[in-house]
Amino acid sequence: MVRRALMPARAWLIRIALAALACSTLAPRAWDADTMLRAAQAQGPQALAGARALQLALAGLSGQDDAARLAAVNQFFNRRVVFASDAEVWGQTDYWASPLETLAKGRGDCEDYVIAKYFSLVAMGMPVARLRLVYVRAQVGGPGGEVLAHMVLAYYAAAGAEPLILDNLIGEIRPASRRPDLEPVFSFNGEGLWQGVGTQSAGDPVSRLSRWREVLAKAHAEGFQ
Amino acid sequence: MSLIRQIWLLLLGTLVLALLASVTVHVGSARDTLQTQLRLKNNDNATALAQVLSQQKGQRELMELTAAAQFDTGFYRRIRFIAADGTVGFQREAPAKPLHAPAWFVALAPIESVPGVAQVSDGWRALGSIEVVSQSAYAHDELWLGSVRAAFALAVVGVVAGLIAAFGVGRIRRPLDATVEQAASLQRGEYLTVAEPDVPELRRLARAMNSMVERLRTVFETQAAHVETLRRQASCDALTGLSNRGHFMAQLDAALKREDGHATGGLVLLRVLELAELNHSLGRESTDRLICTIAQTLQTYTHRVAGAFVGRLNGADFALALPEGRLADETAHAVVELLRAALPTFATRASVAAGAVETRHGEAIAAVMGAADFALARAEGSGPFTVVATGAAMSSWAGGGERGWRERVRDALHDGRVRLAEFAVVDGRGSLIHLECPLRLQLEPSGPFETAAHWLPLAIRSRLSCAADERALALALDAIAVDGRPRGVNVSPASLADSGFAARLRTQLSALPRAAKDVWIEVGEIAAVEQFELVRELARQVRPTGARFGLEHAGERLSRIERLFEAGLDYVKLDAAVTQGSGGDAQRAAFVRGLVAMLHGLSLRVIAEGVADDADAQALWACGVDGITGPWVRPPTDAPASI
Repeated sequence: MVRRALMPARAWLIRIALAALACSTLAPRAWDADTMLRAAQAQGPQALAGARALQLALAGLSGQDDAARLAAVNQFFNRRVVFASDAEVWGQTDYWASPLETLAKGRGDCEDYVIAKYFSLVAMGMPVARLRLVYVRAQVGGPGGEVLAHMVLAYYAAAGAEPLILDNLIGEIRPASRRPDLEPVFSFNGEGLWQGVGTQSAGDPVSRLSRWREVLAKAHAEGFQ
Repeated sequence: MSLIRQIWLLLLGTLVLALLASVTVHVGSARDTLQTQLRLKNNDNATALAQVLSQQKGQRELMELTAAAQFDTGFYRRIRFIAADGTVGFQREAPAKPLHAPAWFVALAPIESVPGVAQVSDGWRALGSIEVVSQSAYAHDELWLGSVRAAFALAVVGVVAGLIAAFGVGRIRRPLDATVEQAASLQRGEYLTVAEPDVPELRRLARAMNSMVERLRTVFETQAAHVETLRRQASCDALTGLSNRGHFMAQLDAALKREDGHATGGLVLLRVLELAELNHSLGRESTDRLICTIAQTLQTYTHRVAGAFVGRLNGADFALALPEGRLADETAHAVVELLRAALPTFATRASVAAGAVETRHGEAIAAVMGAADFALARAEGSGPFTVVATGAAMSSWAGGGERGWRERVRDALHDGRVRLAEFAVVDGRGSLIHLECPLRLQLEPSGPFETAAHWLPLAIRSRLSCAADERALALALDAIAVDGRPRGVNVSPASLADSGFAARLRTQLSALPRAAKDVWIEVGEIAAVEQFELVRELARQVRPTGARFGLEHAGERLSRIERLFEAGLDYVKLDAAVTQGSGGDAQRAAFVRGLVAMLHGLSLRVIAEGVADDADAQALWACGVDGITGPWVRPPTDAPASI
């Protein structure tokens, strides 16, 4: 009985919060706030809190330029998510978590940061063409230090321009030339991936074959575009 | 639409639908799989190519060469490099491969080759993206081949299913047909029972119909027994069971007048001498036994000679009618000799005398009886156990011998010296039911047209009765075609023995289907008693053509035909011997009424033959007969029918 009485009340609160969000921002958003909250709710209170915090953080950025957005998103995830290996968090050698999964756990490894930042930026309306997920060879601890496989998010202000690097190892956003510790190997983004297939591919069983596609599908189901 | 056809349509519809659905589903899923595979291949190849291109240090020529080498494997429709600024860097494009699959199939199940896209970079520098589209012709061909194979395999399965269905339908159909056939036979008036089928629904139906037929049979048997009792009361002598005077006289009259009677015959009158004194001295009981002995002696002749009949005319007088000439004298002597040996066991003085006369077809019964009485009187005057025979009849086949007569009958049939006589059969309102048309032959080229009595026995002996009957039917059909009046023709019982006869009649009738509807075919009651299966077969052959089929000269033995209700008759003509005297004899009228009721119960029409006087006619109408023929209707006309 108590539960039945509570549920509508909570739904109302969510709706009011959403309405407030919708009124406060004029720029079009590439996300579905309602779906995101519902998906977060299903993943537990920590995910819901994370999603609310994210929505709140992003809502404050309406009308700001790319640099401000990059900084806000970079900071949000670098602070909220603690680094941990996939083996610790997921019990697998390699696992690509969706943004909400990362928020739910509060922990993640390099690609989980990159994925969360990428989807958050795209959700705020940043063109996909300006973003790339980059496999890099990172030298940790200065020259002669340990070399590890790493992933960062690169931002290209214009075609052919020098990118800005969003990383979890170094919290500050720096241009690529100031990151001699990173050597890029291969880059990709969501561009052209769903071309001619539409959004149905989220339910396509073969999308599970590729980690990237799987994460794209999961993020889409969580309300990210 | 028939039930079986509906089942077939349903089965076929279901099969075809299942086949179409299976093929469609197969093609659809195969297409989805191929399309997905193609998309993944495009993507994987694009990623792999992008990784290789990213190693070329951003040198355009090297990148283009690498992409061209990949393209030249021939599996690609297009490989395009789009620079970071959105312009096309380089592009390789091949024409679409020719297809083996037909165009309509490609249009029906298109396979889209979704481009695979991957990013190319040099270090941190984003160079652009590479777009890869594979050839889809291979996929189309594979889909087409697979679909054809699937359709073929499913068609084989469909054919097998069809065969199984045919077997199943056959199993349903057999009992169904049997039940339908029973229903049809009921409608035709053949009350048959059938074996109960295995199918529960049909078994219940067949059981219901069988029990109905069984009930009908019981009713019929009860009625037949009742009619038999009435017949005995009306026409039998109570003590001996022989025909009584009235009935014997009617029988004799009918035999002398009947169109297809015997040309010659004989009549023996036998009298027990001084019966009154015997009765007085022996007592009633012994006298009765003596009378019965005489009756049994005479009755053996009716069993031995087909067509002979016996009667007890009054207390002391017996009569034996013979169906053939020149036998009366001999028979009378034989009987008297037998009795001479047998009677002394009762009383030494018991004796008989006999008079014998020859008869000819068409003679008046009064003249025949007069002559016989005269002969008997002379014998009585001559003392015990004497026989006096008079009027040895002129043999109607004097001259030429049997062979000569046979030729004459055959020639008459062959040369068309034939005609049909016409006697009207009318119903209660005086309108015509049909014309009874006995065949007449002109045996001598310029001689008279003779009735069957003169040539039928010979024709039968010469196996010409079939030819004569078929000729009569042909004449009747022609005559009907001319004036449209229904006609009845009779078939000799002897013709039934010919195995092809019924089929030939059917062929004749089928050739003139319109005239066939107005043909009434009849056969003597004796045939139904002695050759029931043949009569039933004839009925089965001729009735489907629309012709009606019945028994003639019927009455005395009808109640003895156990399976009359199975015969498939339309009508029955009651013999003159049965109907004569119904005007004045209440018992006879009761018998006729019972008989008519029984026949009506079997949905048969009843026609009375040989009705001569008004009193009989009125009595017969009152008994419920449907039609009457005979002198009372109209004097016989010898006007020729169309030949």
